[in-house]
Amino acid sequence: MVGAAPGRVVRRAATYVGAAVVLIVMAFPLYGIILTSTQTERDIRSADVAFVPTYITTEHYTRIFSASSGVPVAESMVNSLVVAIATAVVTVAIAVPAAYALNRMRVPGRRLILGGFAAIYVLPTLLFIMPLFITVVQLGLRDTYVGLVLPYVAFTLPFMVWIMGSFVRAIPVSVEEMALIDGAGLAQLILRIVLPLLRPGIFAGLLLGFVLAWIEFLTPLLFTSNLSMMTVTLGLFRSTMDIEIGQLAAATVMTALPVILITAFFQRNITEVITAGVER
Amino acid sequence: MTGEVRAEETIRTGNRRGRRAAIALVAPAVLIVAGVYAYPAITTVAYSLSDIDLSPRFRIVRFTGLDNFFNQLGSGAFWESAWTTLYFGVMLCLVTVVLSFAIALLLNKTFLGRGLVRVTVLLPWAVPPVASGVLWVQMFHAEFGFLNGLIRAFGGEGDIIWLGGQTIALHSVLIAEVWRWIPFATIFLLAGLQIVPRTVKEAAAIDGAGSWRTLRHITLPLMLPVVIPVVIFLFVWAMKVFDTIFVLTRGGPSRATTTLNFLVYRQGFEQFDFGSAAATAYLLSALTVLAIAGLGWMLVRARRLAGA
Repeated sequence: MVGAAPGRVVRRAATYVGAAVVLIVMAFPLYGIILTSTQTERDIRSADVAFVPTYITTEHYTRIFSASSGVPVAESMVNSLVVAIATAVVTVAIAVPAAYALNRMRVPGRRLILGGFAAIYVLPTLLFIMPLFITVVQLGLRDTYVGLVLPYVAFTLPFMVWIMGSFVRAIPVSVEEMALIDGAGLAQLILRIVLPLLRPGIFAGLLLGFVLAWIEFLTPLLFTSNLSMMTVTLGLFRSTMDIEIGQLAAATVMTALPVILITAFFQRNITEVITAGVER
Repeated sequence: MTGEVRAEETIRTGNRRGRRAAIALVAPAVLIVAGVYAYPAITTVAYSLSDIDLSPRFRIVRFTGLDNFFNQLGSGAFWESAWTTLYFGVMLCLVTVVLSFAIALLLNKTFLGRGLVRVTVLLPWAVPPVASGVLWVQMFHAEFGFLNGLIRAFGGEGDIIWLGGQTIALHSVLIAEVWRWIPFATIFLLAGLQIVPRTVKEAAAIDGAGSWRTLRHITLPLMLPVVIPVVIFLFVWAMKVFDTIFVLTRGGPSRATTTLNFLVYRQGFEQFDFGSAAATAYLLSALTVLAIAGLGWMLVRARRLAGA
């Protein structure tokens, strides 16, 4: 770019400076917590914050996964994994048929249902939590997987139906009509034509369901009390009562890691979900 | 236009398939949502109109009419929380949208390493709110937190008590929440920017409009129909913020960071006063719905102005 106009060079430079600032500011808190988790407790508690580490220790990670750890991090990760996978699968399995019918078939009260699903999202979760809390306690579902998955599924479902709807609408109707002309029944149409075409949407939906369940905090806070049923988010909160900051930082990293990896690997799918609403 | 076509499609394909099948496909979703939302929402109405006892076991002591509502509307704590909530909501929308818009404009250009910046901007979205809360507690720590450390590294005093002061605590929560919502807003706005036709901008450039004037007179008005939904989403989330406040400040110091949503939690699950909590939850809902209605009205007008 020898002959570039000076104004263009300046603008180019400004772009890179801006990109550097954005990169540093957005990544700094994450960098900070990872750094903290790899330093000794004495150095963490020093007023001279070393922003560039001179060593790395894994002692905090070893400690939180050891049997003597106050918060069972490994067990809570397994719990969250089970609950998050169950939530993702169940939510998508219920949302996809509903989204298909609401967007392609004559459902009585279609507008009311879609409108209701959107309206629910506006209301504070705590509004629904109080009677649910009473019900869950009365049914003896406190401290069970079902007691967690059921509210998770319900809290994720309205949003999921909307998202899956945008994927359903992207399927060309002509494809479905061809199948109908060929004499396919509804079941065949959905199983043979619609579901394969929806595969990217279903995959994105599973990721979304997993992430939303993994990060949920209020439900396990109120619906579990037993250490053995603890989810990662609740475990992390319990860890804040410990005095060891290094272990807390390590637990934070372990809580965030699965979702961060999913986001980094599947950023395209997640971006698709987020932007599904732009084309309304 | 799209609405008409879609209606036609629905009817055309709908005639060939049974209504009954359609209902069967929708039923599980509707039943679950009704069970977990509609039933509790109605029950909460009953709570809000009653005096409730939680121990030794749950029972409605007596019906008190609108007393819970009047008690809330007559209490200073409620109004203090209401103003905190509104201020927090407006600030979250404003700061997040302005910053995200700038980042989206940046990511809309081509430059080396754009992919890396894009992923990094997206990452905070993936941090569970509780984890981001703990993370920011570390950042804000008065003695050995990173923010004060940074200030000291640049020669400042670095003795700010981020989570301790009445005013600063709310703004610290705000910083943590803005960081968490920038990913969503940026990606959404970026998708919108990519819809703004390049030809319109080029035409403006040929007409001699500088980049600032193109932004001000072409990009911004065309983006308004995308910006407003983002604002609506952010506002709804601001009204529902819980995890971050719970971990960072527990609503304190005193009531400085007790938004209405957190007040519902305090009343319901700290004071075990389900009646007041239910009333507050409905008042918060009313506030949210009013704000959304206002924003929705603006959206309709913006769409009309943008000629969509």
